[in-house]
Amino acid sequence: MKSTSELTDFYYSELYPTILELEKKRKTILSKIKVHGFAGLVIFIVLALMIIKNFGAHSLFFILVIITMAIVSLYYNFLTSGYNKEFKELIISPIINAINQNLEYDQEFFVSQYIFERSDLFTHSIDKYSGNDHVRGAIDGVDIEFSNIHAQYKTRDSKGREHYQTLFRGIFFIAKFNKNFKSKIIVLPDIAQRTLGNLLGGWLQANNFSRDKMIKMDNPEFEKQFVVYGSDPIETNYILSHSIMQRILDFQKKISYPIFISFVNNYIHIAVDTKKDLFAPNIFKSLLDFNQTADYINSIRNVILLVEELKLNEKLWRKI
Amino acid sequence: MQLFLIIIVICVVFGILMYNSLIGKKNQVDNIFASVDTILKKRFDLIPNLVASVEKYMDHEKEILTKVTQLRAQAMQGGLSDEEKISLDAQLTNALKSINIALEAYPDLKANQNVIHLQQSLNEIEEQISAARRAYNQSVTDLHNAIEMFPTNIIANIMGLKYRTLFTINTNERENININNLFNNK
Repeated sequence: MKSTSELTDFYYSELYPTILELEKKRKTILSKIKVHGFAGLVIFIVLALMIIKNFGAHSLFFILVIITMAIVSLYYNFLTSGYNKEFKELIISPIINAINQNLEYDQEFFVSQYIFERSDLFTHSIDKYSGNDHVRGAIDGVDIEFSNIHAQYKTRDSKGREHYQTLFRGIFFIAKFNKNFKSKIIVLPDIAQRTLGNLLGGWLQANNFSRDKMIKMDNPEFEKQFVVYGSDPIETNYILSHSIMQRILDFQKKISYPIFISFVNNYIHIAVDTKKDLFAPNIFKSLLDFNQTADYINSIRNVILLVEELKLNEKLWRKI
Repeated sequence: MQLFLIIIVICVVFGILMYNSLIGKKNQVDNIFASVDTILKKRFDLIPNLVASVEKYMDHEKEILTKVTQLRAQAMQGGLSDEEKISLDAQLTNALKSINIALEAYPDLKANQNVIHLQQSLNEIEEQISAARRAYNQSVTDLHNAIEMFPTNIIANIMGLKYRTLFTINTNERENININNLFNNK
């Protein structure tokens, strides 16, 4: 596995001509956004003033705001989609290859809904499921797969209108686990206990009817950060050994997003709730900006490093 | 009068809930101990094979091997209390550790597939035993908390719930049974 500095070197040396080319495109798009944005703003203000002066109607103004927002978002996507695609093809794909040659990257593909639902991390039904940026391959003999996932469910408001709510948006990672097990183990962020305190939060967790029995673990820090549900206390302790609990805690410290982990069917599933796409470039930031580059590289590296961090590559005897 | 009745009903309901939760905790401890027992038995099954395979190589460690065999025989006897089982488990774990350390002095054993296989199985079972001990200790801690904390302590007292023995967990255990160090240091 290449280090972040090696990858940064690779980025600034081998990819440099491509970056310069792409940076030119980014600047063109950015200036378009600025000019068109300004023009749009002027039109919006004129229209708004006309509406308020002639009709004085607040509901009409509200409709104008909604239409403007829709147009802005569509136009922004239209302007940037080509750039996003090229960025992923010319920058992200080579970086992933440089990290490990055994990895295959596909912009459009994503982890199947079947696997997402199998993980049992989110119990709500899913009405819309999409994703992108799929990476698949073997690292140190461990088969892994991950992608961005956006899972949504439908709700109806009091007027009967349909809305889509996000159930999960972030990175979904799967790998074969190095221990055999039959039961299901779910590790979730301990939100209830952190926000509602030990007594009420603890009671709510213990009485979560959509889950198996809550299992207390013998690592106080882990207990504070996560809540564990499992059907078999012994197997849960077998999978969540002292060392893996520590590694999960270390990983959680490294990334600021909430993580959800489940062990099902001899696989480990990890969902990182980033609320955004992993490899989406920021059009407002230069491709030559060092911090931004380190950010792109680290976000890819962190996910792929999971295999090493959680020592999934360490074979236990039974799996040999 | 009505208020008095309501208070009585509430007290009874709470009493029943606490009683049931205590019974649940006690049964949990018993259930997990039964599983610990099953895994410990798996280890007993491996011991005769292990002893038979290493006996001919290990001339100087007859004493440890005899001790392991004896401990196994003792543990296999019926009618042992939980405390006795826990104590025998600790002794057996230590004795097996000694065998592992002694094995390092016998390079011939490195080549013995049978011994390697037995060590692998033993290593796997040690992991399971360690998990079972931790699960058991956690359930015992839950029970002890309920026995000591107010208001469940009152009901626990009436029920005559007793403290259980905890397994002492040696954190070095995993490393000691690490077969990697024994056979892969070429």
